[in-house]
This record gives sequence, C-alpha cells and structure tokens, in this order.
Amino acid sequence: MTKKYLGQRMTRTEDPRLLTGQALFVDDVQVPGMLHAAFLRSDYAHARLKSIDVSAAKGRTGVVAVFTAEDMGDAWRPSPPNVSPPPGMPGVTFHSRTPVPLVKDKVRHAGEALALVIAESRYIAEDAVEDIWAELEPLDAVVDLETALDPDAPHVHDGLESNLAAHLTQEKGDYEAARDQADVVIKRRLAIDRCAAGAMENRGIVAHWDPKSEHLTLWDTTQAPIPIRNGLAALFGLAAPQVRVIAPFVGGGFGPKIMLYYPEEVVLTWATMQLGRPIKWIEDRRENFFATTQERGQVHHAEIAVTKEGRVLGIRHDFVHDTGAYNPYGLTIPLNTQSHSMGAYDIPNYYSDLKVVFTNKTIVTPVRGAGRPQGIFLAERLLDLAAKELGMDRLEIRKKNLIPPDAFPYEHKIIDQAFAPLIYDSGNYAATLEKAAAMIGYEEFLKEEQPRLRAEGKHVGLGIVPFVETTGVGPYEGARVTVETDGRVSVATGVGTQGQGHFTSFAQIVADQLGVSPRDVRVVTGDTSEFHWGTGTFASRGAVVAGNAINAAAASVRKKVLALASKVLDTPEEELELVDGLVRVAGLPDQSVGLGELAVMANPLRGAVEPGTEPGLESTDYFGPQYGAVANGAHALILEVDPETMMIEIKRYVTVEDCGTVLNPLIVDGQIHGGVALGIANSYYEQLIYDENGQLLNASLADYLIPTATEIPRVEIGHEVTPSPLNPLGSKGVGEGGTIPVPSAFAQAIEDALSDYGLEVLEMPLSPNRLFELVHQRDA
Amino acid sequence: MKLEGEYVFDGPREAVWELVRDPEVLATALPGTQSLEQVGENEYVGNMHVRIGPVAGVFDGRIIVSDEVPPESYTLAVDGRGAPGFGNGTGHVQLFEQDDGKTLMQYQGDMQVGGRLASVGQRLIDTASKSMIQQGLESLNNALQARMVAEAEGTDVEYVPPTEAEFAAAVAKDMAGEMLPSRQVIGIVVAAVAAAVVAMVVAIVWLGARKED
Repeated sequence: MTKKYLGQRMTRTEDPRLLTGQALFVDDVQVPGMLHAAFLRSDYAHARLKSIDVSAAKGRTGVVAVFTAEDMGDAWRPSPPNVSPPPGMPGVTFHSRTPVPLVKDKVRHAGEALALVIAESRYIAEDAVEDIWAELEPLDAVVDLETALDPDAPHVHDGLESNLAAHLTQEKGDYEAARDQADVVIKRRLAIDRCAAGAMENRGIVAHWDPKSEHLTLWDTTQAPIPIRNGLAALFGLAAPQVRVIAPFVGGGFGPKIMLYYPEEVVLTWATMQLGRPIKWIEDRRENFFATTQERGQVHHAEIAVTKEGRVLGIRHDFVHDTGAYNPYGLTIPLNTQSHSMGAYDIPNYYSDLKVVFTNKTIVTPVRGAGRPQGIFLAERLLDLAAKELGMDRLEIRKKNLIPPDAFPYEHKIIDQAFAPLIYDSGNYAATLEKAAAMIGYEEFLKEEQPRLRAEGKHVGLGIVPFVETTGVGPYEGARVTVETDGRVSVATGVGTQGQGHFTSFAQIVADQLGVSPRDVRVVTGDTSEFHWGTGTFASRGAVVAGNAINAAAASVRKKVLALASKVLDTPEEELELVDGLVRVAGLPDQSVGLGELAVMANPLRGAVEPGTEPGLESTDYFGPQYGAVANGAHALILEVDPETMMIEIKRYVTVEDCGTVLNPLIVDGQIHGGVALGIANSYYEQLIYDENGQLLNASLADYLIPTATEIPRVEIGHEVTPSPLNPLGSKGVGEGGTIPVPSAFAQAIEDALSDYGLEVLEMPLSPNRLFELVHQRDA
Repeated sequence: MKLEGEYVFDGPREAVWELVRDPEVLATALPGTQSLEQVGENEYVGNMHVRIGPVAGVFDGRIIVSDEVPPESYTLAVDGRGAPGFGNGTGHVQLFEQDDGKTLMQYQGDMQVGGRLASVGQRLIDTASKSMIQQGLESLNNALQARMVAEAEGTDVEYVPPTEAEFAAAVAKDMAGEMLPSRQVIGIVVAAVAAAVVAMVVAIVWLGARKED
C-alpha cells in the first residue's frame, strides 16, 4: 500500500452537505402521523413526589396521551449501567444507582422528568405540561461535594447509609516512605468546578414503532447507536434486528451523548409502542442544562514530595468526585483522573484515595477530557508549586521528571478506566515539550520580552505544560468494506459521527488500500442496519479503533481484488498495482481491469464457482487493541491580565501534539482548535453555578458563557510523530488532547502575569470576578 | 436571596397596621394579584401574575402570618408555585412610630426561588423583586392616603390602584435604571431632543432667510 492520501491535508468530503443544509439531523426527520413530546420536569432538586394530577392535561384539545411512572407498569425500571461496575477488588466499594425513566417516588435533581405529554404539536404538548399539577414535598438538597458525606447530610438515595457512591484507593510504591525522604513536601487543596458540554445541537429523538412490521426505528443524537439498539431490544423484549437505531449527522457530542440510556430514550420507545405512532422530542436549551449530563466537579487534597534537586519522589491525593444524582457511568471519570495525576512524569510513589459522592445535581458522565484535565491540573500545579519553592525553572523541573523515550512501554503499576494495568505505549515527551518551548520562545520571553513589558506596566505571563492523553481504548470496533459494481467503495462502521470528519479520514484509509479516490469512498456511520457490531464514539478512539478496523477490512478486500485480478489478467499478484480505480500490471498500464468490473465478476448470476468462494469484493473485519494508545503533547501560552478589570487577553497559544500517525492534518488541527476552545472555556468562562438548594442559576446561554471567536486566539500547532506500536496505522487519539492541559497552562500563566501579587491559582474555572476576589483576598 | 429594606408611610402606625393586614388592600397593592382570600385566621391563599425578564406566569401562593404583635410587627411565610417555578421564604416586618406622625416600616426576609425563575431569571431577580416591593409599598401608601382622606371627610374611599401594566412599567423603569442610571438616560434624551429642536429652528430660520433673498 502506498500512502497517497493518508496524511494529506484533505478538505472534508462531508462539508458541502453540511454547509448547504443538506445533511440530515434528527430534527429534520419527518414521519407521516408523527406526534410531539414534551416533558414535565421537576423544579426542585430534591423532593418527594406525593401525587400527580394529569387530568387537565389529558383534557386539552390535541393532547394524545399523558404518561407518568405509574402508567409504565413493569416497563418502569432503572436503566442498566453504561459501563461494567468495578470487578470485585479488595478495598473497592461501589453502589450502583442508575437513572429512572420517570420519577416515581423521589426527585433527585432539578430537571428530572415527572411526566411525558404527547400531542399533535410541540406547542400543545408544552401548554399541556403546564396543566399538570405535581404535589412535591421539598427536601433539603445535597449540593456541596465536600459536605456530602457529613453525618447530618440528607441522603440522595434512601436505601444507602450515606451519599458515598464509591470508594477506591490506588497505590504505587510507598508514598509515606518517599515523603520521609523528601526535602520539600507541599500540600494544597485543589478544586475544579462543573461545566456543560454545550453542544450546538441539543439531544433529539424520533421513536417509531410500526406495529404491523413489528419494527422499531429510533433516530437519536447518540454517540453509541449500537449499544442503544441492543439495550432497547433487551428492555422491550425484542430481537435486536427488530430495532434500528440511526444516529444521523449530530451537531456535537463531546461526551454526554455517549450516555445510555437517557430516560427519554427509554420512555419514548415505550410510548411509541403504546401508541403505535411515531413521536418526536427535541430537547430545548434549558432542558439541556438540566437533563443532559455534565462533568468536572472534584476537590483534591494533594501533596507532592520532592528532593532539593527537583526530582519528584511521590504524589498523594485524597479526592472527592461528584457524580450527581446517579452514577450510570461507573468510575470512568475518576479513574481517568488517577491515570493522569502523575502527568507525563516518571513518579515512583503514588497514593490516591477516591471517594465518589451522590449529590442532588445533574448526572455526571464524561465531557471532552473526562477526568483527565483534573489529573493534569493536579500534577502540573504541584510541579509549579515545587518549582517556586525550590527556586527552579519550571521547564527544568519538568524535564527532570518526564518519562524518558527509552522507558516505553511504561507500566504505571496502577489500573486504568477499564480496570486493566495502565501502560503508556510510546512517545518522546521531552521532544514535544522542547518544541513547544521553542515555538513560544520560552527563553527569550522570560529574559527579554517579559521584563520589557513589565517595565511598561503590563502584566504578561507565560504558561507551559506537557500532558498525556489516554486514547483509543477497546474493546473493539468493526467495519465492512465493499467494492460496488460501479467501482466505488462503500464502508460501514458502527461508531457514530458528531463532526469528527470520519467520512473523510476513514475514506483516506480505504483509498490508499484500494487505489481509489477518497471522493469515491462512501462512508456510513451510526446506522445499525448498515453495521451492527461495535461500541461507540468515545475516549478519542474513532481514528484508532474504528480506523484500524476499516484499514483491516480494506486490506482484506485488497487481497480479494488482487486474487481475482491475478486470474483475470493472468499475472502474479506481486506484479499488480491498484491505481485510479484500476488493477494494473506494473509497468504495463494498458493491461488493467477496473474495480467495478472485478466486482461484477465476483458476483456472477449464472455458472459455477469454486467451493469456499465468497461472493463479491467485500470483507468485514474487526480491531481491538491490546490496550489504549497514549498520546502526548505540550501547550504553551502567553497572556496579559488587566489588573483593574481582570479581563485577560491571550496573546499567543501554542500546542505540540503527538497523536502518532496523522491521518489528516486538517482534521487533527480542527480537533485541537475545538479542544483548546473548550479548555479556555474551562479556565475562564464556563462554570455551572448551583445554589445551596441545587438550583442551577445560569441555565441559559445568556448567563453560561460559552466563549466565542473573539475570546479564542489563533492556535499555532506543531507535531511530533511517534507511531503507536499497538495498531497497524500507528495512530493515537486526538479528540480530547486540545482540552486537557489548558487549565494547567492557564493557571501557570495567570500566576506568572500577576507574580507581584503572589497569587496561587488552586481552582478552575476562574473568571474576572473570581480572579479579582482572589487577588484582593490576598491583599486583605 | 436576602431581602431587606425600609419604607416610610405618611400616616400613623395603627392605620398602617390595619392596611397591611387587609387582604383586599394587599391584593391591590401588588398588581398582578388575581385573588387573595383569607382561608384561616392568619392564612391567605391567592394567585398572582409575575413577570421577571423573560420569565412570566401565574403563581399559586399561600401566605401565613405569625408572631403578630399589633401594631408593631409580624412574620410572613410565603409559599408560591407556578409554571415559572417556585418561591418560598419568610419575612419579618416591623412598624415604628415616627415623631412626625409617619410610620417607618422595616422588613427583612430570606427568599428561595427555583425553576425557570432561578435558572433563567437569576440576573434580574434581585432588582425586580426589590422594585416590586418598592412599587407595592408605594401603592399601599397611596391607598393609605385615600383612606385617611375618606375618613376625614366622611366619604367613600376614592383610590384607584395601579393597573398591572402601570405597575409593570414602573418596575421596568426601575430595572432599566439599574443598568443605566436614570438621570443619565434622561440627560441623553433631553440633549437629543434639544439638539433636534435647535437643528429644526436653525433650518427654518435659514430656509426663511433664503426665501427672502
């Protein structure tokens, strides 16, 4: 295979459809006879449901049905968990509490659904929601994660002794002994507050049960169509082929759309089966703030032990992770935090005590970064504090502790999010950090530019941090590649697409294997009737796991093409080449046969074939990595703070990423741009503010600040390439890397800019208000 | 949310006490109140139309009066729910006789709000509720004046409470003032109008002068 298209900066084949409004989104789906749904949601964060009166709503003209938990009978049950609960390990406590379709007895977060109205139009449905009277007895709410385990805290779940959802410790080496040997030990409390994913498209579902064909079709904005299909089939007693889940174009996923099963998915499926009519529900923005999952939300009591030469002997952190009202996503996020709490460094001793708590807030599941930004924040803040204490250069202390290139595969001796040993497969961490330092002009800035600007009275600071990103985890993905009779190629894979450019990068892989143009490769993702094995789009794994499955299927088809062409052209396979949609005899371009012709020959209408022959030029293959590929990189920025208004301006932003083999640099750059934007949002803009009663106080895009183009600087991107040895393409994920290190780099830059105030940044996100408070608290 | 403030009524304490304990008067003082009914010795139920920024709707509410010390003080517990969300809280009201025959009302309360009111109206709720209280107390004071005049002259009370629209306009004005100081707004308007008038006069004079040419 020659690499003609892989690695090319190709514009995306899906963009013309997206940019001209031709792409199908869930809200575009129109089915004859379609009804519309609206939910009554609780205004209270914690309340007992005493009674619910839907009679007025049912009586409204145009209302077809109103359903409550009681109406669902045996179909009402908590969802199965998203991920397997932790295996029975010593010292691990885990209490599984998964979401319910509609509240039956107790409301556990504001926005939890109490009733479903189905009507001829959304307008009627919304009006009828206001006709319902739910008698709710408010209860004290659990909001603050640090007091959630107090003996007098109210209980989110009545059947549990406390709000403890999980407890787990991890240990590597002997931290206590390391601390005794250390010259310097630094302790701090570090806090990271909640954020939303803020996808442009909210969630949406069209559920259609056809009673005559006994078939369910669900158009859903999910990142995981196949698990949704399998789960719904099991929940409603259907065979999997009776259920088709289609995730069409989706306007951004960022994690929350991997959640299974949202109550809406279950209850709308149940409702369409009751009514035998299609039902559409499109989440509005306010619902999205309450009913779509959120993330971050941790408090760490962290400690670092270092020698006076700056060698880190160990890190310890005891932390609380807020899972919200339920914990369907198990321990994925806090395990990711642990997997990143030693950053890109070789740290011999580590101790981590994790407590997960239930609170009366929206459910927490991964949002782009998924626990990793918190871990990197911990490691990088501790190193900055240590460098200051030792009077060392911050690059110097980092270089001293980075995992060296000859240490791979580096076994971390703790477990990862899949409860498997955490191993970093490959990389050259020092090279990415040095490249970032060179791109930002580290030495020059500190020695010349910063002193000059300070003399002018400007508060300008630099931040630079390396990071790791666990990506491309298993279990597996699959793909089917088919050469069509017109010579074009069809590809089907199970992962869903939410803007990652899969149609293009996957086509590039196939194009190189089969010698066609990527424009002649038709990729289908996220439709269970096209491909029904797989798990979904998460953990920055599309390019790694689905990409390699597609590569494997395309390679198998290539073999079939060569075998058949060898017969047709009467030439040994090794003398054939696949170019421009033809199989040619190398050096004799006249002797060729088209891929389409071969596809016709491979599927004859009459005659006999050899025993064991498979029809067509088609293959289905799978790829499952031994363990996840670990990408790495470094970010550096220069920013200026106005100490009067505490507004910041990012002067430069540099990233260096090593995501192994780059399939399409344009798409990788796009992932980094978007990731950095969320990272900046997580540093200075987006913060979900809950009051002491669990009321979300900024549930609108007027109050929850998603940065716009004016706040996001131009991002300068550099690359290092260390192909992963874990997959044939050598790829590593890049979907979350842009976000992960930003708060750490940002915190360092702000401290640097405001160094004359002696400020320590120990929390994220900040805001102009918060920074002002912090600076003036120190004054006081 | 903490609510705290004071207001001076132009009348004696006993008259103010009677007024604030009369549900009919209270209902008119807060326009948008669609009903307020006494259901127990110290308990009232009613409903009220509220608009705060983009959030509007009818609240069903219950008010319980306790710790009454006539004519000095009482405590109000308010609990309201409706499509825009919910609000509940308690407030303590005290009346002080002033030397000039007037009455000082001091109030402090703690209010909790939830639902759309909290999640979308948060930015405006503080200003809006303060303004609503202020406007409501002013209506009450006007009602007090009307009562006192009627009593003195032995006639019927002639008091027309503000309409919901008038009330809403007053609240909106207050809230706009919060964002841009009202004097500045008036100043800008006056200056603009003055400039326009001057320009017109100049133009007329100039045109007239040209005709005479």
